[in-house]
Amino acid sequence: MNIRRLLSRWRSPAQRRGTVALVAGVASLSGAASYFLGGPGWLTDALWLFAAAVAGTEVALRAFSALRAGSISIELLVTVAAVGALFIGEYWESAAVTFLFVLGGYLEARTLAKTRSALKDLLALAPVEVVVRREGDEVTVAPHEVEPGETVIVRPGGRIGVDGSILGGRAAIDESAITGEPIPAEKQEADSVFAGTVSHDGYLEIRAEGVGADTTLARIIQRVEQAQEAKAPTQRFIERFATWYTPAIIVMALVAYAVTRDAPLALTLLVIACPGALVISTPISVIAGIGRSARGGILIKGGEYLETAGRIRAVAFDKTGTLTEGRPEVMTVTPLAGIPALPTTGEDTQPRRRLLHWAALAESGSEHPLGRAVERALSADYSGPRADDFETAAGGGISARWQGRRVEIGRPDWLQERVDEWPDAAARALDEIRERGETVAAVAVDGVLVGLLGFADRIRPEAVEALSALRATGVKRLVMLTGDHAASAWRIARELGIEEVQAGLLPEQKLEAIEAIQRESGTTAMVGDGINDAPALATADIGIAMGAAGTDVAIESADIALMADDLGKIAEAVGMARATLNNIRQNVVIALLTVAGLLAGVFANEVHMAGGMFIHQVSVLVVVVNGMRLLRARPAAKGQASAEAQKPAPAA
Amino acid sequence: MKTLLRSDDLNCPSCIPKIEKALGRLDGVTHAKVHFATGRIEVEHDPERVKAERLASAVRDVGYEARVSAF
Repeated sequence: MNIRRLLSRWRSPAQRRGTVALVAGVASLSGAASYFLGGPGWLTDALWLFAAAVAGTEVALRAFSALRAGSISIELLVTVAAVGALFIGEYWESAAVTFLFVLGGYLEARTLAKTRSALKDLLALAPVEVVVRREGDEVTVAPHEVEPGETVIVRPGGRIGVDGSILGGRAAIDESAITGEPIPAEKQEADSVFAGTVSHDGYLEIRAEGVGADTTLARIIQRVEQAQEAKAPTQRFIERFATWYTPAIIVMALVAYAVTRDAPLALTLLVIACPGALVISTPISVIAGIGRSARGGILIKGGEYLETAGRIRAVAFDKTGTLTEGRPEVMTVTPLAGIPALPTTGEDTQPRRRLLHWAALAESGSEHPLGRAVERALSADYSGPRADDFETAAGGGISARWQGRRVEIGRPDWLQERVDEWPDAAARALDEIRERGETVAAVAVDGVLVGLLGFADRIRPEAVEALSALRATGVKRLVMLTGDHAASAWRIARELGIEEVQAGLLPEQKLEAIEAIQRESGTTAMVGDGINDAPALATADIGIAMGAAGTDVAIESADIALMADDLGKIAEAVGMARATLNNIRQNVVIALLTVAGLLAGVFANEVHMAGGMFIHQVSVLVVVVNGMRLLRARPAAKGQASAEAQKPAPAA
Repeated sequence: MKTLLRSDDLNCPSCIPKIEKALGRLDGVTHAKVHFATGRIEVEHDPERVKAERLASAVRDVGYEARVSAF
């Protein structure tokens, strides 16, 4: 048959171990069947010897290669035990011990690979090849061969291979790999895109800015791996324990043999000398917890922070950009009676839209944030005329000319002097809008006031739900810390149900506020945008940075970085941390009970070689599978709530 | 130069010193570090004297799957 294929199977360690486990397993079970069904003694012995030889050779080879590399391995102990068992005539024990050792190792490697796979999904997101335009031709190259500044072409449905900004085209881009946001983001010219995201429907030309290891995706993977490798306090303690466990058991085996002359007892001790479950108990939970969080766009920087985050009592929030969207939006549109429609639109346009159309025209030449807000308030498919010419009055407003008409937008007191009349209706509307804490802009056409617009920094739509989810995870105290003035801070706080506000703070005062909260309430987290909040983030027990994708400062300065601008992820992160902490505790208890039980069982002469190996391997698998549960964990409150929200209401 | 290997095959932390020592014995390798949690193996070596592929096969020789990885 295919000798070459057989050979390559043999050369691949993982596949060889699978084959060895299978052959040895069939042989030992056949031997056992022959024994119980009264088969001839020579057949039983031959089958068990064959199994011991097949599995034992595999173990012995590895023991030998380790010995050559200068280390005494668990394989060596198992080999000694198996050979010893053959000498004292315990063929079954020898076959079972080696077979269980090989099978256990095979299964453990498979399940561990699954746990590690949370990250492999991320690695797989980087496309294998990308299309670059070079000297007019389209060339296909590996992503890391792209030079920064080159133009990368992405077809509809294609995966983006570099970090960069869009030169041309528009598309709905699935950024779930980076931000954990399931809803695709609409992107167009000048917007930035990340390697590993997918263009759903558009053709894009992208200027490459970061390639290969210098992409957000690569940095996230690197960060997550460093986090998984960083040892949690529990783990450091257990590893100290493990380093003396194996030598201690070997000594114990020698002493036991010297004192009792009981060879099976001494050999059994060698079999259970690997502290497998114990050593693996904490890291497996940390790998799974951090890996699962990373898939949801939550970057937890290490096992230590997982343990601390599980104990959070109070959370402090920055206001602007954290609880709010950090940019003004049109909140109020008040057209005055008799507002004309823009000549390019129909006469049946509603007055509210007429006002927005005029405002957009006046702002069309300017880069002012209020102008962007007006654009967002209009539907996406509206593209109105642009001003022929405009002037900006600093601190006042904009005066634009279009087809011989004069369109103006600006502060009410500035515009008041430029219009013929300021009707009572306008004065009343102005007071109303100001009372709500909104910023007002007035719009005039040819010297006639046509309406008022109110702008405010809107609360994030998910904020209310996110804060109640956070309270549900056991966080008792929520505080707003802001540099903004008290009136607008309290307006936001009341809407969100936050009862504690400290306004008008400078960055270092935020830091002092955090220290005070820590003294009063214990473990405290601070949520901010990572740059101006850096001192407070560093002081808090857990610094949480929002919208971290693309900003390295945030990823660097925070202990937990949320890739997306989604407050709901905070409760998810805290929930995940609590779940991981519990998982670690369960695993440590399982592992310690197994070790104690095995030792007691061996000395009470209740546990023999095969049984000892079996219990040991099962305990390792139990710990690994328990850790893997975290990969499936749906952080309770938030997940269910949003799933409910997405479900269409049942038709009555 | 630093080369990154990845292995899905590490099942007991006792394999860490074994792999590190096996890599350390190769001519041209100055430093080898195995991360059990993630299956990452970082090797500092002189590419003139020992090729990346040789590193992976050294790990396979002590009984664990390994492949060279870009990041």
